[in-house]
Amino acid sequence: MSSYPKFAVVGHPNKGKSSIVASLALDNSIQIGNTPGTTQVKRGFPLKVDGKVVYELFDTPGFQRARRVFSWLEEHGDVSADKRADIVREFVFKHKENNQFRDEVELLEPILAGAGIIYVVDASKPYGAEYEVEMEILRWCGQPSMAILNLIGDEDYREDWSRALGQYFRLVRTYNPITAGHREHLELLESMAQLKEEWTNPIKKAIGVLENLHEQKIENSISTIVDYMVNVLSFVHTENIKDEVLSQEEEEAAKVAYREKIIRYEVNERASIERIWNHNNIEKKEGALSLEDVGLFSKESASIFGLSQKELIVTGASAGALTGVGFDLLTAGHSLFLGSVIGGVVGGVGAMFGFDNLYEVKVLGQSLGKRELSIGPMQNLNFPYVLLGRSLYHASTIAKRSHAVRSDLDLNNNSFTEKIMEASMRKELEKLHGKLRKSDEVEDELLVAYKKVIRESFRQLLD
Amino acid sequence: MQKNNSQFTFKSYLDLAQLLKQYQGNHEDNRVFALTQTTKGSKLLTLWKDKNLFRVVDELDSSKYLHYLTLFTSLFGFALLLLGLFTGFALLSYSGKEPVNVIYLLLVMVGLPLLSMLLTVLSMFTGNLGASFFNHLSPLYYLEKIINFFPFAKKIDFSALPFSATLSKWIFLQRLQLFSFLFALGLFFSLVLTIISKDIAFAWSSTLDIDPVAFQGVLAMLATPWQSFFPSAVPSLELVEVSHYFRLGEKLDANMIQNADKLGAWWKFLAMATLTYALLLRLVFWFMMKLGFKAQLKKEVLAVVGVKKLLKEFETPFVSTQSFKQEKHLEVKEEVTIAASEVLADNYAYLLAWNYSEKTLLLLQDHNKVEVTNRQVVGGRNSFSEDQRIVDGLEGKILLYVKAWEPPTMDFMDFLTDVLAQKEVTTVEVCPLGTVTEGYSSKKSDIDVWLKKLEQINSEKLEVIDV
Repeated sequence: MSSYPKFAVVGHPNKGKSSIVASLALDNSIQIGNTPGTTQVKRGFPLKVDGKVVYELFDTPGFQRARRVFSWLEEHGDVSADKRADIVREFVFKHKENNQFRDEVELLEPILAGAGIIYVVDASKPYGAEYEVEMEILRWCGQPSMAILNLIGDEDYREDWSRALGQYFRLVRTYNPITAGHREHLELLESMAQLKEEWTNPIKKAIGVLENLHEQKIENSISTIVDYMVNVLSFVHTENIKDEVLSQEEEEAAKVAYREKIIRYEVNERASIERIWNHNNIEKKEGALSLEDVGLFSKESASIFGLSQKELIVTGASAGALTGVGFDLLTAGHSLFLGSVIGGVVGGVGAMFGFDNLYEVKVLGQSLGKRELSIGPMQNLNFPYVLLGRSLYHASTIAKRSHAVRSDLDLNNNSFTEKIMEASMRKELEKLHGKLRKSDEVEDELLVAYKKVIRESFRQLLD
Repeated sequence: MQKNNSQFTFKSYLDLAQLLKQYQGNHEDNRVFALTQTTKGSKLLTLWKDKNLFRVVDELDSSKYLHYLTLFTSLFGFALLLLGLFTGFALLSYSGKEPVNVIYLLLVMVGLPLLSMLLTVLSMFTGNLGASFFNHLSPLYYLEKIINFFPFAKKIDFSALPFSATLSKWIFLQRLQLFSFLFALGLFFSLVLTIISKDIAFAWSSTLDIDPVAFQGVLAMLATPWQSFFPSAVPSLELVEVSHYFRLGEKLDANMIQNADKLGAWWKFLAMATLTYALLLRLVFWFMMKLGFKAQLKKEVLAVVGVKKLLKEFETPFVSTQSFKQEKHLEVKEEVTIAASEVLADNYAYLLAWNYSEKTLLLLQDHNKVEVTNRQVVGGRNSFSEDQRIVDGLEGKILLYVKAWEPPTMDFMDFLTDVLAQKEVTTVEVCPLGTVTEGYSSKKSDIDVWLKKLEQINSEKLEVIDV
C-alpha cells in the first residue's frame, strides 16, 4: 500500500464531486455536467512535487444502485463491525466484471485501497432518507471520512444535512467549489489532515506546496504583465517604402500592421496568464482592444481602465515634478524649488497634449537610398493605463477563478480604475512609461520599482 | 573561445541565446533535468544548452560570428605584426650619416602604447556613450567599419546578436590589446633584428631645449622596473650627454665619433622599454580586459531572454495536480426527443412517490389535488422485497412522483422498468416535482435531465408530466 494519503470524493450523482475535484486539483479540463453519470470511471489526481506524490484525490462516479449493493452486503454480512470492510471487499471482487455495479465498484475500489472518504452532498436541496443507504455502505468500508456540504443552488438546508451527516462522518464542512478561492482550498485541506494522524504531516506539506505554488503563479503573472507592458510601450513598427514620399496607402497599411501587432501582444499575454493559472480554453466575453482614434481613446472608453484627462494631467505633472527635483538638488535647493514647479508645469502640459496624440509616423532616410517608415512607440499618455488596467483585471479574474467554473469569462467591467490607479502608484508607473515612450534605455532599478507597483495592485485585486 | 563544457564561454552564450529564441522547454522537463545534474547556476545552464542545442536547425550564430571574429583578428593581427616590423625597420634605418633618434623610438615604442592604454582605461570606466567616444579615437574602430563591407561580414545579422553595447566594448577593448601587442612585438623584433644585423648609432635630438640631466631623469624613471636587475639597460648621464645630437652639424660631431662604441648602448634601454611598456604591460591590460569581458559576459547571460525563467525552473520544485489518466467522456445528447405534458389526469389507480416519506406524500397529494385509489411510497428506506411486492400489485394508470432535483439513478430506472413490465399497468406518468420552497414546481434544467434519461426507456406506457 502506498504511503501517501488518498481521498476518494464520492456521493450521489450530480452533487458536484467533479467540481470539487476540479477545484482542488486546479484542473479545468475535468468534464462537469448536469447529466447524471458524467463521470464514468474513477480518476486519480495526484499532487506531485518533483514527481513524488504528496497526496492523491480520486474523482468517482456517483452511486447508482446503492440499495442493491447494501442489500447484498446485508445478505452476506451478518458479521461484527471489524469484518464489514471485508464484506465490501468481497462485493467489489465478485462484481468487478458486472456492468450492473460498474459505478459502485469504481467508487469503492480506492476506498478499499486505503483512501479517506469525502462524501459530497448538495446542501441547497432538502435532505432525503435515500442517502442513508450510501452513507451506510461507506460506513461499512471503515475508512476515515468527512462530508462536504456543497451549495449548488440558492437555498440552504445545511442544518438538516449536518444533523444527519454528523451521525456518519467525523467531520462536516461547507465548501462551494464554484466560489472557493485559494484560502478556502487550504482550509479544506486542513480539515482533511485531521481525518487520520498519519495524514497530518503530508497534508501540511501539501498546504505548504500549494501556498508556494500560488505565490509562484502570482510572481509569474507579474513578470508576464511587466514584460508585456515593456514590449508594447517600446514597440516600433518599421517597413520600407517605395518612393521618396510616403503614400496614404502605405501609411494606412503600416498603421494596421502596427495595431495588429499591439493586439497580438495582448492576446499572447492573455494566453500566458491563463497558462500560468492552468485555465486553458476559456471562452471570454470582452470588448476587443481597439486602437482606432475613436473607440479606445474616445471620452467614453478612456474612463474604462484608463485615466480621465484630468487624472492624466495630475500624473504627468507629478512625474514632471520629479524631474524638477533633480534640478533643485543640483542647486542645493537655492532655486527655491523652482525646478519642481517648472517640471510640474512642463509635465502637465505634455500630458494635456499627449492625450490625443496616438503615435507618430516617421519617414527615415537610410544611407543606401532606401526610405523606411516607422510607427511607434505609442505616444498617447492614456494608452499604458488602458493596457495595464485590462491586463491586471484579466489576470486577477483568472487568478481568482475556480477551476470548477465552466461559464464564459466576463471581462467587461467599468468600475475598476480606482482600484489599481492610486495617485502614488501612477507616479511610479509614469516614470517607466515616459522612458519607454522616448525609447530610452530602461534601468533594472526602474523595472524593479515598476514591478513593485504592479505587485501591490495585483495583490489588492486578489484580496 | 570555448574551453570546456563547464565554463560559460562567449560561444556558449551566443548558442544559448539562439537556442532560447526557439526553445525554452517547460517547467517539468527543466526541473527534471536540474535534478539529474550535480551542478548549479551557469554550469547547469551550459549543460542544458549542450543537451538541447540540437534543436537549433539553422546555422549557429556563434559559428558565423566567431568565424568572422577569428578571421578579422587573424587578418589584422598579422597585418599589425607586419606593420610593427616595418615601422620598426623604418625608425631604425641608419645610413651611417645621421644617428637614429631615440626620442622617435620612445614615442612609438613607449608613448603610443601608453596613450592607447590610457584610452583603454577611459573606455573601461565610462558608460556606453563615453566608451563609444574613446573607441572612436582608435584606428581599430575604423578598420572594423571597413571590414563590415567585406562579403563575409554581410552574412551576419549583427542586430540579431544578443549582446549589448557594453559587451561589444569589452570585445573591442580585448582585441585592441591584442593588436597593440602584436604591433609592439613587430617593433621589438625589428629592433632585435636591426641590432644583430647593423651597427647603429643612437642619439637624441629635439627642437626643445631639453637639459640632458632632466632627460636622463625621465629615462631613469622609465627604467625603474628593470633598474635593479639590469642596470646596464639604464642610460647613464654620460651616455645622454655624449649622444646629444644637433641638427646643424653636417655629420656626427667629434665627441660622438670618439664615443661611438657607447652610442650603440641605447639598444638595451630601448629593448627593455619596449618589452616592459609595450609588451608586458600590454599583456597585463589584455588580462584585465579578459576579466572585464568575463564579468560582463556573466551579466549578459542573465539578461538573455528566457535565462531567468530557466534558472527559476531549475530551482523551483515542479508541482503537478492533474490526472494522467485520460478522461472517459460521456456522450451527452443535447436534444431531447420526448416532451413533457403539463396536465395531470383526473384520477389514477396508484400514486407512487419515489424517495419521499409518507408524510410528504400526503402533502403532495393535497397540493396537486389528485384523486387516487392507492398510495405508496417507493425507493428511499424501502427494501427491495417491499418495492417488489408493491410493483407486483400495480395495475391501471400510475402517477409516479419523483424529486426533480435528484437525477434518476439506475436504482430508479430498474424500478421503473419493473413497473412498466407489469402487464396490468396501462400508463406510468412520471412527475418530477420541485422543492417545497419552489412550490413543487420543477426547473426546466431538472426536467431536461429527467427527459434525457427517461427517453432511454422505449415504452409507449411512459409519459412525463411537468406541473
